[in-house]
Order: sequence, then C-alpha cells, then structure tokens
Amino acid sequence: MAAVDDIPSTALPGKVLGPTSRFAPGAGTHIFEGNVVSSLMGRVTIIPPAKAPGPAKRLNKITAPTVEELATITVSRHGSKHEILPDVDNIVLARVVRLMPRQAIVVIQQVGETVLQTEWQGVIRVQDVRATEKDKVKIYESFKPGDIVRAQVISLGDQANYYLSTASNELGVIMAISEAGNDMVPVSWKEYKDAETGISEPRKVAKPS
Amino acid sequence: MADRRRVNGPGGITVPPIYEAEDLPLPDRSRQPNGIRAQYLKTGVTPSASGSAYLEIEPQNGSVSKGMKLTCTVHGPRSLPRSAPFSPHMVLSTHVKFAPFATRQRRGYLRDSSERDLSTHLETALRGALIADRWPKSGVDVIVTIIEGDQARQVAVEQGIEEWDMMNVLGGCITVAAAALADAGIDCVDTVSGGVAALVPGKDGEEPVMVLDPVPSEHEEILAACCVAYLPSRDEITNLWLKGSLSSDANLQRMLIARAVHASKGSSQAVAASLTEAALAG
Repeated sequence: MAAVDDIPSTALPGKVLGPTSRFAPGAGTHIFEGNVVSSLMGRVTIIPPAKAPGPAKRLNKITAPTVEELATITVSRHGSKHEILPDVDNIVLARVVRLMPRQAIVVIQQVGETVLQTEWQGVIRVQDVRATEKDKVKIYESFKPGDIVRAQVISLGDQANYYLSTASNELGVIMAISEAGNDMVPVSWKEYKDAETGISEPRKVAKPS
Repeated sequence: MADRRRVNGPGGITVPPIYEAEDLPLPDRSRQPNGIRAQYLKTGVTPSASGSAYLEIEPQNGSVSKGMKLTCTVHGPRSLPRSAPFSPHMVLSTHVKFAPFATRQRRGYLRDSSERDLSTHLETALRGALIADRWPKSGVDVIVTIIEGDQARQVAVEQGIEEWDMMNVLGGCITVAAAALADAGIDCVDTVSGGVAALVPGKDGEEPVMVLDPVPSEHEEILAACCVAYLPSRDEITNLWLKGSLSSDANLQRMLIARAVHASKGSSQAVAASLTEAALAG
C-alpha cells in the first residue's frame, strides 16, 4: 500500500479521499463519482483490511474477492463527542418512564458504548418483552418506572418512538430499585430481591454477563 | 398589547440614539472589480450548541462600508417534537434574524418578511448540501444572527439600497451556516459557500462593469446582482438569487452567475483555511 501517503490527515466536507477501487467508505464519508469523499470535518483514519489471524488457510473453495480487502477510510472529530442515532439491531440502555397495559415507555440513554446527548423515546410492546409464553406476559410484572433496561432496537418505529425488544436472555432489566427504595439483586430469570427487606419483585431480568 | 413572553425594556421613556450627521466620504470602491473583502471565521464559539461559527467581513478603510458580523448556531441532531410526522430523513429548519441593533433601522424581536425570506433562501442552500438520510427521525435547527449588518448608518436609508444589502447578508449567512454545520458534525456532501456579484454602471458613462462582493453604498447605482450558494468541489449551485434589470441577453446573465460563483470560490478558500485549522486543533 504505497499510495497511502497521498491521503490528507484532515478533511473537510467535499474533500476527495481516494478512489473506491482502493478504499471502502467508512463513517463520515460518502461516494461520489467513483471516489470516497469526506462528508465531515475532522481527521482521516485509514483502517487496514482485516486479515485472518494466523497463517492463511489453504484455498479449498472459490470465493469472490470481497470489500473486506479494501482499507476503510473514516473521518471523525477527535476530542468532541460525535452524536449518533439508535439504529436497528443496536443494543441500547434505556430507563423506564411509564407503564401501560400493552406497552412500556422508555427513554434511550446509551447506544452501544456511546452515551447520547439527546434523549430518544422508545417503546417495548407486551409481545416484545420475552420470546416464550408471550400471551402470559404482563407489563407491570416485567418493568417498573426507574428500571434500567438493556434492549435491542427492532424498528425505527413511528414518529415518536423507537421500537425495542427484550426477547432474549441477555436482555431485560439490569438495574432495579425496590418499592422501599433500595437497590435490588437478581435472584432468578423473573425476580429481583431487595437484600434489606427480603421482598421479591417480579421483573424481566437480564442474564448477568 | 405588550409582548408578555419576553423581558421587555424599561417602562419609562427611552430616547432613540441620535447620530451626528456624518461627513461621509464619497461612495467609492477601492478594491479591484474581482477582489472580495477579507473574512475572519471561527468555529466553536457557542459551547452550548452542537456546532457554531462566527464570521466577520472586514470593514473597508476610507469607505462607508462597516463590514459585517454574523454568528450561527446549530442545534441537533435532536428528536423531533411529538406532533411531527415520521420522517425518514433529517428535518432542517433555518432561522435568520437581525439583531435589533444590526442596522440603521432598528429591527423588531419577531422576524419580519425579509428575514423570513432569507431563512427560506438559506434552507434551500443548505438542503442541497446535507446528506439528510443519514439522520432519520431527527431535526436540526440552524440559527443565524446578524450582529452587524453591512451598511453605514446613514447612507443605506438615504439611498434606499437596503434591498441590495440582503444579497450580501445571504452570502454571509450561507458561508457561516456551512461552517457551523461542519463544526456540528452533520454530514454534508460539500462545504457550501455564498458569493455575490453585481453589475454596476461604469465610471464616466462607460460600459457597465461586473464587480465581485459589491458593497451597495460604494456604488451610485446597482443594475443587477446575483447571489449563489455554490459547492466548490462538485461544481454545483444549490441556491440562486438574481435580481435587477438585465437586458434579455442570456450571455450577460450567465456571466453574472459565473462571477458570483467566482466570488464564492474566493470565500470558500478562506473558510477552508480556517476550518482546516479547527480540524487540526480538535
């Protein structure tokens, strides 16, 4: 990769970074007329193509060369946090704000590892709470306002809400506070227990990782 | 009825400032016809906003032009209000407002029709540059405040050339808003920049000449003017505003647009230099 030197270290929107034949567009770039073009102001990072660990396997089937073999160019601003949006399949952390018989309203606060600047409203419908026995799910036996929930985005939803799902062992309530106001510990897949008062409360519990 | 939503001024009498009659120099343009005024741009001036920029256009020595000062703040991307319908792309809203003290004639607190007109022009200019589908369900607000308008206190009103000033203001608005969008980290296909060119009568009854970045008070008359929002690396125009009396010669109109594009290339170089500096710094 001898021609990497001609890539500038910083870019402005509209700056041509390289041809698509040699580079794959990453975050903060777009493609225009066969070139990868920056769409943000910031520093240019070139991520070399991911190589398989260890010695290359003997070729035992014919595969088409994939885009993986191209170096990916990304443009990002260092220092300042970059705002991101929840997207389908992201794992998010959300706080429950309101319960209704058919759904729970939550506020998304973290997407992946990134803490959001703005709050986005999401909804967990009763049929998305768990994967089995969906007809027996009751929202008020799964969440309480104030709980922190780990959930997956299943749809961008309607105008106001992202649609979230906790239908997996790893998803559900990860932090809960009892009616007495104490932190609780998970004791089973459907129960949190207040260590001080000894009272159990039903929740859709996330499997501790 | 008094505006109860804002902190109003003192209840007592206030006296509007009375300026002494200035001994105005004769309107004269000292720059070359193809020269634009120097610009100063700084990004990140408003810490509470996602992105912001400040643009200053230098005052001309010995001229009636007092320069121009604009600031722009960008808020967002943020969630749309509940009442808004689902949008698969980013919803852009622009506000252009003169500070009450920006021009000779004091401006009200509510936007008047000329300010709303500028907002619409700015929105068109920016919409062509934004990659809006990267931000579904979100809105971004672009707010430009003109702190100091480009007109000498007295002349503009006397000569009735305020309307020509609007083009210069729009050009500045486009440039400063593009810088603030870049600072906010919102995806754009290019850094859009504004440029103005005008057709003015030549000296001593000569043929009319085209000048870049015209200051209306420096000329006795402006025949026609053109303001473009231009994407330099794509060679595209996102917004075009041409007014005045041009002969029906299409060549003349094309030439005026080409000169305006030339002016915006000049300002885009200035903007690129200061944005690169900001990108290196942070």
